[in-house]
Amino acid sequence: MASLLIKGGRVIDPATGTDALLDLLVVDGRIAERRPARPGKGASGERGVVPAGTKVLEAAGHWVCPGFVDMHVHLREPGQEHKESVETGTRAAAAGGFTSIACMPNTEPWNDGLSVTEYIVAEARRKGAVNVFPIGCVSKGGRGEELAEIGDMARSGAVAVSDDGQPVANTYLLRMAMEYTKIFGIPLIDHCEDRDLSAGGAMHEGYVSTMLGLQGIPAAAEEVAVAADLAVAQLTQGRLHVAHLSTRGSLEKVRQAKREGLRVTCEVTPHHLVLTDQAVADSDFDPNTKMNPPLRGEQDRQALIEGLRDGTIDAVASDHAPHHTDEKLQEFDEAPFGIIGLETSVPLIMDRFVRQGVITPARFVELMSVNPARILGLRKGTLAVGADADVTIIDPELERKVDVAQFRSKSRNSPFHGWALRGWPVATVVAGQLVHELRAAATR
Amino acid sequence: MLVDTKLQTSGRKTATAGARPSARRSTAARRPEGAADAQSARVEAATPEPKTEKRLIALKQNHLLGMQGLAAEEITLILDTARSFAEVSTRSIKKVPTLRGRTIVNFFMEPSTRTRSSFEIAEKRLSADALNFSPGASSVVKGESLLDTARNLEAMAPDMIVIRHKSSGAPHFLARHCRAHIINAGDGWHEHPTQALLDAFTIREKKGKLKGLRVAIIGDLMHSRVLRSNIFLLKTMGADVVACAPPTLTPVELSRLGVQVTWRIDEALEGADVVMMLRIQRERQKSGAFPSAREYYNLYGLTVERARRARTDAIIMHPGPMNRGVEIDSAVADGPYSVILDQVTNGVAVRMAVLYLLAGGTLGELAD
Repeated sequence: MASLLIKGGRVIDPATGTDALLDLLVVDGRIAERRPARPGKGASGERGVVPAGTKVLEAAGHWVCPGFVDMHVHLREPGQEHKESVETGTRAAAAGGFTSIACMPNTEPWNDGLSVTEYIVAEARRKGAVNVFPIGCVSKGGRGEELAEIGDMARSGAVAVSDDGQPVANTYLLRMAMEYTKIFGIPLIDHCEDRDLSAGGAMHEGYVSTMLGLQGIPAAAEEVAVAADLAVAQLTQGRLHVAHLSTRGSLEKVRQAKREGLRVTCEVTPHHLVLTDQAVADSDFDPNTKMNPPLRGEQDRQALIEGLRDGTIDAVASDHAPHHTDEKLQEFDEAPFGIIGLETSVPLIMDRFVRQGVITPARFVELMSVNPARILGLRKGTLAVGADADVTIIDPELERKVDVAQFRSKSRNSPFHGWALRGWPVATVVAGQLVHELRAAATR
Repeated sequence: MLVDTKLQTSGRKTATAGARPSARRSTAARRPEGAADAQSARVEAATPEPKTEKRLIALKQNHLLGMQGLAAEEITLILDTARSFAEVSTRSIKKVPTLRGRTIVNFFMEPSTRTRSSFEIAEKRLSADALNFSPGASSVVKGESLLDTARNLEAMAPDMIVIRHKSSGAPHFLARHCRAHIINAGDGWHEHPTQALLDAFTIREKKGKLKGLRVAIIGDLMHSRVLRSNIFLLKTMGADVVACAPPTLTPVELSRLGVQVTWRIDEALEGADVVMMLRIQRERQKSGAFPSAREYYNLYGLTVERARRARTDAIIMHPGPMNRGVEIDSAVADGPYSVILDQVTNGVAVRMAVLYLLAGGTLGELAD
């Protein structure tokens, strides 16, 4: 019987309305007991109530949170293992404080059926450091023509469907998919982009793109697609989740749809919350400032922050998109879209929003754990007794510099290299097992 | 954008200064004789004036990546230096030994006749060793990355690389990865700084100043690097710029660059001292920016009739290559107010000045 005592931390568990100093006893991968921390008591005081051989994780001064869930990750396996693999991607997740990740289906081949879904699940079981939940395709090959075998994928572990990287442009297919997914109770996650409006664009269309002479991607390219998706969601009463929402207009549309009672949720990335299109100019065309959707204007960024506060935004997701250095070291317009985020997501949100008082610690845990777990239908996102012992432990005071050389990810494409941030994940526990720890001295 | 401060403080600046050809010993050879024209204070070689800070001014940056961020005094320095060099091209032996022993690579990843020839002539007239490197003859077509190409060029130790590239920011990429001085000869839709400089040189020669002039820039604003470099330069030098195109060819928020933006060509031409026409690529028709070349000409072509709205002494410019009968009528292009060929001539002098100054030269040395 394996057991672990997470001792003396501030347990922040919004699902049970908890924010208190508690000891958590984990037995056989589940939360077995929660009790008030007794800082004065030494090991002798514990001996009577914890099983013999219990490992102790000192968490005094730290936040003990239900394991974080990154619902938008590209693991690149199968097919693009030079960028990332299930093994390295999950290690990056563990290092970044995530105990569960959902991986997008735009692999080679696309995860559009039983065999790839099963492969990912099996590979995660063999080599994964954290829980991996595959997202299957909406359409065969992500081509947007015919529905993929969603039932097969759902049965073998897919928790959502998406053609991410590609929008579901055909509104008829979108309608069919939103109807069909009802059978399995899983959401349709859409990458909202009107490809006619965005074609050829390399960055957000605005003053900076004009100044730099780069072709723009207007905010309307996203908003047109969000509006269309919401209309179809209204029509079907299906479940829609808007991936990496990036503009003020999109946010306003989702806010309105929620008011009207539509079953719609959305996520935002850390980079859209902390950077704007100005980063492209400031970095002299660094391709690590190129992603899709692009970094938007300051007004958009402020609107997203407001959405973070008022609950319109349900989840923070990294859109971890690994690319090999050779692929990114190109001319800006030639370089592929995307940056990695698993290992910077938590400290960015901690430093810029939680520590600044923009959002409360409880809201932070909702965005990182409770809500993404709920959207994907995972039995995660809480530290209630009996729940899976997936735990993210954060040192809110720890200040470190982002160093891409230290990343567990295979890729290095991050615009945050060298940033000094405060508030880092220091230990990650999955099913009661410590899968990552920043400071070796913290256990005994 | 222009001043790479990180690199500026590196040891390279010193190396460049050290490698500068000795000015004192080869005065006659290094100075284009009679370089100073009537408008500038003529400096006689026999009676050198005391050197002032102003006369010894050198370019502050290692690269010429764009006009954005370049200070007025730096622009003036380049234009003044170009005036000194203009005379060289009028001699029977059009050559000075100023950059003897320097290697300059003309790395042109996009078709170019005018700019590449202009740079090549400028380099040859400065006695530099010029190497032309363009994709038709290179391994770039075999899939070599820009980084690898840059590293290979770098391995041959060029002093400068002149780059023309279809991607905005490609010269900045090169500047990050090469030790050579990088000169942007046009990157995507971004900048074409030597074009703006030669335009400014031409305007100054014809109008005697830049400040306070009304400059109308008309044509495909969206895809024009000439537009952007000209805006940055002209605004810095105190000119008023009005930019005109159909809305389909106008980049968003252009007015935030400090220019008046209109789609009415008559409004743009009204009272203009300088009319600068931009090339309309026929491919833009396919992307839906206008229905036909014919309709474009009817709405935006510069005809003699329309040109009358400009001031009576206005000059007509075009960076080339021209589409006669699309953006400009031949009667205007070849008319008495056209300075289009002067622009080409001046391009050589301006590029000589840029090459000379980036190699560490100073205006003071030229006047010695």
